[in-house]
Amino acid sequence: MEAGAAPPPFWAGGPAPGQTYIPRAWGQSDIPRGTGIGSAALPAGRTLSPMVTGTSVLGLKFSGGVMLAADTVGSYGSLARFRGISRLLKVNDSTVLGASGDLADFQHLRQLLEQMVIDEELLGDGHSYSPRALHSWLTRVLYNRRSKINPLWNTVLIAGVYGGESFLGYVDMLGVAYEAPSLATGFGAYLAQPLLRAALERDQLPSREEARELLERCLRVLYYRDARSFNRYEVAVVTEKGVELEGPLTLEANWDIAHLV
Amino acid sequence: EWTAEPVSTGTTIMAVEFEGGVVIGADSRTTTGSYIANRVTDKLTPVHDRIFCCRSGSAADTQAVADAVAYQLAFHSVELEEPPRVRTAARLFQQSCYRYREELSAGIIVAGWDPRRGGQVYVVPMGGLLLRQPFAVGGSGSSYIYGFLDATFQPGMSRSQCQEFVARALALAMVRDGSSGGVIRLAAITEEGVERTVLAGSDLP
Repeated sequence: MEAGAAPPPFWAGGPAPGQTYIPRAWGQSDIPRGTGIGSAALPAGRTLSPMVTGTSVLGLKFSGGVMLAADTVGSYGSLARFRGISRLLKVNDSTVLGASGDLADFQHLRQLLEQMVIDEELLGDGHSYSPRALHSWLTRVLYNRRSKINPLWNTVLIAGVYGGESFLGYVDMLGVAYEAPSLATGFGAYLAQPLLRAALERDQLPSREEARELLERCLRVLYYRDARSFNRYEVAVVTEKGVELEGPLTLEANWDIAHLV
Repeated sequence: EWTAEPVSTGTTIMAVEFEGGVVIGADSRTTTGSYIANRVTDKLTPVHDRIFCCRSGSAADTQAVADAVAYQLAFHSVELEEPPRVRTAARLFQQSCYRYREELSAGIIVAGWDPRRGGQVYVVPMGGLLLRQPFAVGGSGSSYIYGFLDATFQPGMSRSQCQEFVARALALAMVRDGSSGGVIRLAAITEEGVERTVLAGSDLP
């Protein structure tokens, strides 16, 4: 996070305490400007448009833990430019995080988180961040960035098991945050979420194998219907024993219906 | 009107790793709109003895960032008392490109050789993401050759195979992309040094 040196941007250009106030001409600034449209009068570093993006991330609770799944592609507009990117991040032994949206912002977030985890280990007090704590922290970070009109253009799912309880939470670039037994970002919210919820309608949570199969099925549906998806994916499973990252695996697609047309 | 257009290295740039180094290549066309301002541009810019960057996007932006990184690397290398890592150079590019992402129009490939990790290729596309890849392409011309690259690339190519691969790919892109053209500038960076070649006119594959 940026050290709180300068005042927030919308107060910039105002009177310094004790000085005569000489208003600056509209649109002028002391930060070098580029050719960005609409970036005049905005300080450096604002993500106004995502560049390399990741599509849906899926999350599902099962009996014994939680799992996340995401494909491994970074899209540059409609081009599937980077086909081996991991969008699932193991934060610590009890938590994983999956991100969609701008991947440069995700890398920035990853650096922040990695440093936080290191700092916490250095404290050596035996405590580690719980998934719920991380979710709360991330909500604050993303909400504050959006309030400065400088969002981290990501939608993030946090999954973990802590103190015997499993956790699955969602935070997006606006700071909207909630928890649920099944979650999906992007296209997944429209296509996968109904499938995930149907599986949860029974009394008990699905077993690990059922959940794993369901996530794969959802990823396949997304591969059929999301034009920015890819058939290589990763899965992260969190249980009391810790975090297991599987992948990259390849989805098999069924094109039989093509012969019926 | 072309005087109002920014000067851009609408481009094709490419870099490939091999055992012992990297091969980098670029076209040589700089455009202002559709006028070719410079037909013999050198887009392979050294930022240190064994570390180069391939520049695409705005000519001004990329030159400015490359100059800054070259300065930082020179300083860092003196402090370190050894050649800087390619990853460090790439990280320096990424820091500028991410921080000023809304102001800059810069797609950069950083490639070179260092004693610790050998030949490496890193890509810093627009937006400021940092990624290491066995090979990377960038610039407007790159769109036309993704198919060729996917079909032809093999891991574990030798230096001369890489040079041929890069030359063929760039030639194909330069034909189809109006913003790319001129000559192909190649450079092979290894422990021994940097060997630069130019493929022009009839030399083009």
